[in-house]
Amino acid sequence: MSGWQVARIDEIESLPGPGTLRWTPLRRHFDVRAFGINAYTAQEAGQDVVEEHTEQQLEHEELYVVLAGHATFTLDGEEVDAPAGTAVFLKDPAVRRYAVARAAGTTVLAIGGKRGEPYEPSAWEWYFAADPLIRAGRHEEAIAILEEGLAEKGEQPGIVYSLACAEALAGRREDAIAHARRAIELRPEFAEHVKSDEDLVSIRDEL
Amino acid sequence: MSWQVANIEELRGDRPEAYIRRHFDIAAFGVNAWTPREDGTIIPEHDEMSSGEEEFYLVLSGTATFALGEETVEAPTGTAIHVEPAVTRSATGPAGTTILAVGATRGEAYRPTGWEIGAPALPLFASGDYAGAKEILLGGLAAFPESPMMLYNLACAEARLGEREAALTHVARAAELDARFAGYAQTDEDLESIRDDAAFPAAVPA
Repeated sequence: MSGWQVARIDEIESLPGPGTLRWTPLRRHFDVRAFGINAYTAQEAGQDVVEEHTEQQLEHEELYVVLAGHATFTLDGEEVDAPAGTAVFLKDPAVRRYAVARAAGTTVLAIGGKRGEPYEPSAWEWYFAADPLIRAGRHEEAIAILEEGLAEKGEQPGIVYSLACAEALAGRREDAIAHARRAIELRPEFAEHVKSDEDLVSIRDEL
Repeated sequence: MSWQVANIEELRGDRPEAYIRRHFDIAAFGVNAWTPREDGTIIPEHDEMSSGEEEFYLVLSGTATFALGEETVEAPTGTAIHVEPAVTRSATGPAGTTILAVGATRGEAYRPTGWEIGAPALPLFASGDYAGAKEILLGGLAAFPESPMMLYNLACAEARLGEREAALTHVARAAELDARFAGYAQTDEDLESIRDDAAFPAAVPA
């Protein structure tokens, strides 16, 4: 191993993210372990480039850098103009943040981590990586990614829930039931989700 | 403040570097942006063995030429490079090239490394404020006593101030911690006044 890797960001496979944005999983691609780092792209003006969220769960501080195009950030309801070359730092994980592209191809780099603690990759990366495979009917590949996530992160509720979905769609009924029940134990709010989640329709009567 | 915004070029001003982490007081990782100095150097040759940091470089504009170990890599805008601590790396490029550098150490809570704390001392050398530079470096060394870069720069300030013995002690210690500083010391004008001393570190044989 050379100890280094190079890639053009636009040549790394991007995946569908929340809504219409494209997620380029830089941290996963390079296996960065000391901080979170990803890129997000909106292909059309008016599309989301950073999904609306807070960082309260992970308690991350985040730095966004607009790499290309032009974004408008909304931070706790306040709009911030962010052309290429703008850095936006959110120290407070509770700030609700969101960004929309004002130009096609707007790309934003996001770097995150928790103050005072060693970085750990976030569970969402595994179920975000699995979801496009589930949508494409590649259930066994999705299951492999999610099982890798379980091995690394333990029983993170989101990973367990996504695994239940993939297994239900793959016809692994008993595994799906077990994981869906476990996901609900870990996060009781999932009990509502399963009532309307089409991925789990085959096992809903068992939950 | 809950959040802050800055334009990276404006943050840089008339310096080659934009100290992003320090500007925002980011505590979870290091991040800065670098542009070419007069000689074209963007990232000076170094490794991260003393900090253990893995680093992620992203070319924001222009085209950089990276040296990574024994390899040379051309890196146009949009190129990302991930480097493990032991790899010797450097980058050069023409005016208009900007590289974003992000770093932290696996398995450890982030803390700023020695060079960043000592960096504000460097412009004071240019203005001749060696006493001011010394004060900054002493403060930095209180947190990072084994930082070869800060020890070396402290030696330079002390040599300029005529503090011969202290300068010799500190340049020797810097060279002991990182042999490359022995090389730099051979031609550094700041150390001219003490170079003839028997205690001055010799260059490391090639």
